[in-house]
Amino acid sequence: MEELKQKLKVQIIEALNLQDTRPEDIDDNAPLFGEGLGLDSIDSLELMVLLERQYQIKVEDPREGRKILQSVQSMAEFIQSKQQPA
Amino acid sequence: MAERVFITGLGMITAIGDNVAENLRSLRAQKSGLDFTRQLDTIYKEVLPVAEVKHTSPALSEMAGVAGKEGYTRTTLLGLIAMQEALRHAGLSNLEDETTGFINASTVGGMCDTENVYFDIADPTKTGDFDKYIDTLDCADCTQQIADVVGISGPITTISTACSSSANALMYGARLIKAGLVRRVICGGTEALTRFTLNGFNSLKNVDKRPCRPFDNDRNGLNLGEGAAYLVLESESLVKERNATVLATLNGYANTNEAFHPTAPSPEGDGAYAAMKTAMEMGGCTPADIQYVNVHGTATLSNDVAEGMALQRLFGDDVPKFSSTKPFTGHALAAAGGIEAIYAVLAISHQIIFPNLHFKDKMQELYITPETQLLEQYPVRHVLSNSFGFGGNNASLLISKYEG
Amino acid sequence: MKGKCYIQGLAAITPQHTFEGDLSQPMVVTRGNMLSCVEPDYRSFIAPNSLRRMTRVLRMGLTASLKCLQDSGIAIPGAIVTGTGKGSLQDTERFIKEIRDYEERALNPTPFIQSTYNAVNGLIALQQKCTRYNNTFVHRGFSFEHALLDSMLLLHEGTSDVLAGAFDEITPEHFFIKGRIGHWKKETVSNDALYEHVSPGTISGEGAVFFLLAPTATAQSYAQIGGLEMLYKPSPEKLKTALPQFLQQHGLQAADIDLVLSGANADSNHAHYYQVLNDCTQCPQLPFKHLSGDYETAGAFALWLAAQMLKQQQIPSQWFPMLQQQPARLRNILIYNHFFGEQHTFMLVQAV
Repeated sequence: MEELKQKLKVQIIEALNLQDTRPEDIDDNAPLFGEGLGLDSIDSLELMVLLERQYQIKVEDPREGRKILQSVQSMAEFIQSKQQPA
Repeated sequence: MAERVFITGLGMITAIGDNVAENLRSLRAQKSGLDFTRQLDTIYKEVLPVAEVKHTSPALSEMAGVAGKEGYTRTTLLGLIAMQEALRHAGLSNLEDETTGFINASTVGGMCDTENVYFDIADPTKTGDFDKYIDTLDCADCTQQIADVVGISGPITTISTACSSSANALMYGARLIKAGLVRRVICGGTEALTRFTLNGFNSLKNVDKRPCRPFDNDRNGLNLGEGAAYLVLESESLVKERNATVLATLNGYANTNEAFHPTAPSPEGDGAYAAMKTAMEMGGCTPADIQYVNVHGTATLSNDVAEGMALQRLFGDDVPKFSSTKPFTGHALAAAGGIEAIYAVLAISHQIIFPNLHFKDKMQELYITPETQLLEQYPVRHVLSNSFGFGGNNASLLISKYEG
Repeated sequence: MKGKCYIQGLAAITPQHTFEGDLSQPMVVTRGNMLSCVEPDYRSFIAPNSLRRMTRVLRMGLTASLKCLQDSGIAIPGAIVTGTGKGSLQDTERFIKEIRDYEERALNPTPFIQSTYNAVNGLIALQQKCTRYNNTFVHRGFSFEHALLDSMLLLHEGTSDVLAGAFDEITPEHFFIKGRIGHWKKETVSNDALYEHVSPGTISGEGAVFFLLAPTATAQSYAQIGGLEMLYKPSPEKLKTALPQFLQQHGLQAADIDLVLSGANADSNHAHYYQVLNDCTQCPQLPFKHLSGDYETAGAFALWLAAQMLKQQQIPSQWFPMLQQQPARLRNILIYNHFFGEQHTFMLVQAV
């Protein structure tokens, strides 16, 4: 899980071109949108593309996307739940 | 005192008809143009419905009278067919005796054809028969090709403000006339389906896999369409001089910006509200004077909320009949404003209101619902036509009955 | 188009050091037929969070527009009108490639959004919270010129001021593509020696240039745009009668023109049009495309040059080595430009 979160942070920074942000600047539970990293709805679409390209997970519904993309923690949990089907 | 601007000719081609009469027939028959594509090479062929003009490009070349000639993209051909009808309809066989302008609108120019050869064009190791498409990469190509075939030599330009492009073209043409720079301008837009735009809107996750449902609580995005539409605008003095028939007047218009987000409107519909209000007031109308609003109504989540809020703010408890005709034509982007301006003229000249197809449940954010029935013999004197686009670009037109 | 139109502020990002408005900068010489802009530090104009997604021409366009507003002292203009021949080429190229590479699946929307021709307009409106009129013209050599005409109409209709501008970029890929249809010279030339190489084709360029236009003159006015005329594919006869007519309409004779800025670009295919200047004017003619290269909205750069020269009553001689002597006075500058022989424009720029 820790490894996955670390990897995600690097991927997010790269995908969204967050030039002045380092992985350690992103708190696992900090909101990605609004207050936290200051991301917007276009970023959320880009993060869904990241999930699809890097993890082969397709998020169809933008509303569902919002929940998954709340934080690095929620993204990682979602990826893990998809990778290890119960 | 600036001259009034009259609409004296209409020409169009869409998924529901090759000309204005066929469009009117399909609207009355409540026949949607949405279906799966036969022309476009895409993995979404049988996934995403589109409103495609039901002819191959070679067939369109025949219809446009340029069969066998090279270098005409589908965008140009659609435009040419609509342009020729508009000129015929206005009774104009010779454009030489009066300076005639052409204000066209396009979102991606000849992309429909260039996207199929682009990688050959860009590859230095390739040679072949594709050089003729290089000039068609931009938006001006279709405009000039159309102008050259029909012999337009007056003011000519192309506007691209995404989905509001042809409404802005009509507005600009009207202003050229009012400023006395020209007495006749043909305005509108042309749009062919492309993989580029289909994938573009799909990447924004706002394309519905079902036929679109404007203003429905369960709407989930738009369907793309293609087509072309042109309106002949003439000054009052020219109309009198040549004794032309006036179909309607372009009575008001406005362009405002949301300044909110690159692709989404403000939730309260500030820009839409301001555009409609300003257009209405320019034409000397109050909300009570408007009988019909042909809404932008793309059926995306955000558009319909914003536009609906704007309608409620502007009209309060007396919202006039309104409907989106996008379930008929799809969203034909740069052509949409022109297509819907023609529908507004038809609503006035035939005293008819078109139904908003596929509507079932009221949106929870709104108290208004669109008109779902075809209304004949409905007294329509003033119509607002809305076109809103990316970059926060909002345009509203007020089209009114000509009463002397 | 008649009516008063004054340039109250301006800014230009071009292949020369134009951004700070200092006309004493040396000429930037580029070997190779593709001139690229000298780009400023965008971070002093655009917040990092906005900047991270923007591609090159969006940055150039937005920054030039903001610098222009700064220069004019106006934050929210009464309208924003632009012209661009090609919009964001980088984004168009990227999206078309991603469609192929990812086989239409999992596509980033950003290049699609930014490829929209009015993307820069939207960004300016967004950054300045300008909710007023907003329009974009995309018609080759008439893109900027119609943006200007629209602006003049707006001023005539009562708009207090208009931010009008133009932007275009060139990419190596697009340079190659346009080379296939003979836009550029086959031989490699250096821009400072452009006019010694009269042969088919020219050199390519790019730029982002903005103006703040207002209906009344003030002490800060750079110049007045006295007249604008566009001719679409004119015959040689038409062109020959149109120029004297244009001057006459504005109450001028050939002798009243102190300087001509000409779009002559050493392209032997389309050079003959510029002959009309020899027939109809008597003053020095200075070409400007060795500074900017040729592109759809190069006319905006010519207007920037004219406005600066009129304000400073001086021609930057290091940029125009062909100038034999400074004119005694600069009252009226005529710009004549055309884009590959199709869209022709006359502009009359006058001292205030």
